[in-house]
Amino acid sequence: MPLAGSRLAWFAAGLLATTLAVLALSLLIGSAGLDAELIRSLRAPRVAAAAGVGALLALSGLAMQALLRNPLADPYVLGTSGGAAVGALLALMLGAAMAFGAAAGALASGALLLLLARRALATSDDASPRLILAGAMLAALFGALATLLLTLTPEQRLRGAIFWLVGDLSGADHAGATLLAALVFTLALLARQRAIDRLLLGSEAAHLLGEPVRRLRLELLVGASLAAALAVASAGAIGFVGLVVPHALRLAGVQRTRDLAWLTPLGGAALLMAADLVARSIASPIELPVGAVMALVGAPVFIVFLARGTR
Amino acid sequence: MSAALLETRALTLAAAGRTLVRALDWQAAIGERWCVIGRNAAGKSTLLRALAGIGEPGLQQGGEVHWFGRATAQWPAADAASVRAFLPQQASDRFPIAVGRLLELSIVQPRHDPHALLEALDAAALAERNVLELSGGERQRVALAQCAAQGAPLLLLDEPVAFQDPAHQLQVAQWLATLSGHALVISAHDVNWIARAATHVLALLPDGRCEQGPARRMLQAERLQRVYGCGWRVVEGDGGRFWVAQ
Repeated sequence: MPLAGSRLAWFAAGLLATTLAVLALSLLIGSAGLDAELIRSLRAPRVAAAAGVGALLALSGLAMQALLRNPLADPYVLGTSGGAAVGALLALMLGAAMAFGAAAGALASGALLLLLARRALATSDDASPRLILAGAMLAALFGALATLLLTLTPEQRLRGAIFWLVGDLSGADHAGATLLAALVFTLALLARQRAIDRLLLGSEAAHLLGEPVRRLRLELLVGASLAAALAVASAGAIGFVGLVVPHALRLAGVQRTRDLAWLTPLGGAALLMAADLVARSIASPIELPVGAVMALVGAPVFIVFLARGTR
Repeated sequence: MSAALLETRALTLAAAGRTLVRALDWQAAIGERWCVIGRNAAGKSTLLRALAGIGEPGLQQGGEVHWFGRATAQWPAADAASVRAFLPQQASDRFPIAVGRLLELSIVQPRHDPHALLEALDAAALAERNVLELSGGERQRVALAQCAAQGAPLLLLDEPVAFQDPAHQLQVAQWLATLSGHALVISAHDVNWIARAATHVLALLPDGRCEQGPARRMLQAERLQRVYGCGWRVVEGDGGRFWVAQ
């Protein structure tokens, strides 16, 4: 059953309430308790970064799924995280900022994919298999490069590099930028909601209905790469969010891009804030990598969703 | 005199070293329902796609297809959408979407009431259903409604009754006859269905030649034998004529 009308409104209200509850808990719970100064100066920026990164990753996944017409696609399938990892490790070796390296790597991987997919995107046929394959090959290539670079990383930096590759919010700083970018990206998707809904019917179907398919796919690819690059630059390679949030919303019955475009970043923010809360509090004072926590908690939930079989 | 809605000028289509359609000069006007007949792989789908202005990999095209006197390539995609709608042989759904929303998304020129279209195609009960859960026949009738909902005068339908049971085949034929404001080009195999649904027939012969004319004249046993390569008996019965392949 599609979620529409008052049922959709209740669902959205529930998701909003959940997000706010997670936000409050994230701000209040922590190793140093309820120190107002500590909450403002340390915990709030971290929670804001988690929200912004989660929103960006989820939006990036939503755009990639529309681009590839594959409900299980996300920026990681296309090698964006691999590109970011290689960029970050190179920066580490050269003594440059890892965040810039990650952003450059993610963008370079997006550009490379664009180059490989150029012919597929130029025609109006359904290029999904070719794009997915190109992305998977890029991911494999970047994965191999990252492993290679990891063996060359000096021992005293190895722990930081690994932690960062799995995804880590402890050093996240670009909270304002990620939140603002998420808002801009949401508005950009909303402005194209009808065209994106038509693209989901197939690139040929969208073309027959008069949509500028080629331009739309290009915009989606560039937007999704930029969103993923910003998220990765700020918090490292966190997977799963871009895949699970839009898919879970679809399983719940949210079908229209008009609704998905703002429910997706909300869900992504809530999910990553919750995962970070668990990661930093469950084994306190030891901090677990948020990317691993995310997958450990989220994968079983996702499997339950799939097993229930409701589309 | 205004230009014909659909016109081909010396249209030649070739793929994989084989000429499917040779120098076809042909027109279709509003109110006409053309059925394209031919053997498997004769080029029916390829012709329909060319008429829709969408290519195929490996297709070589000579001559031109015109809508309202203007070559298809010269129509911007947005304008072309209000001239022609195309029903592919099979929908390729990947994302959940409600049938009602699908119809709403398909509207380019508001011409038909989407709900009335579903009603006419025995699909009104499907409006809230997810397309991924429909049967082949249900999905095809929804796709037919989508095509009409687009509002284009030219409807190109590739095997619109391939998945329909006999009752729904009949219903689709009757519904097509109500689309008087459209020109229809339909590919189909069932000669008895074609006799009911079509006003005209365009036959693709194995060597790429095409024959065209009113359905009654085109559906004669000798011609059908040349088209399909098997014998035909036309039986005059109580309710009309019936075609039996032999």
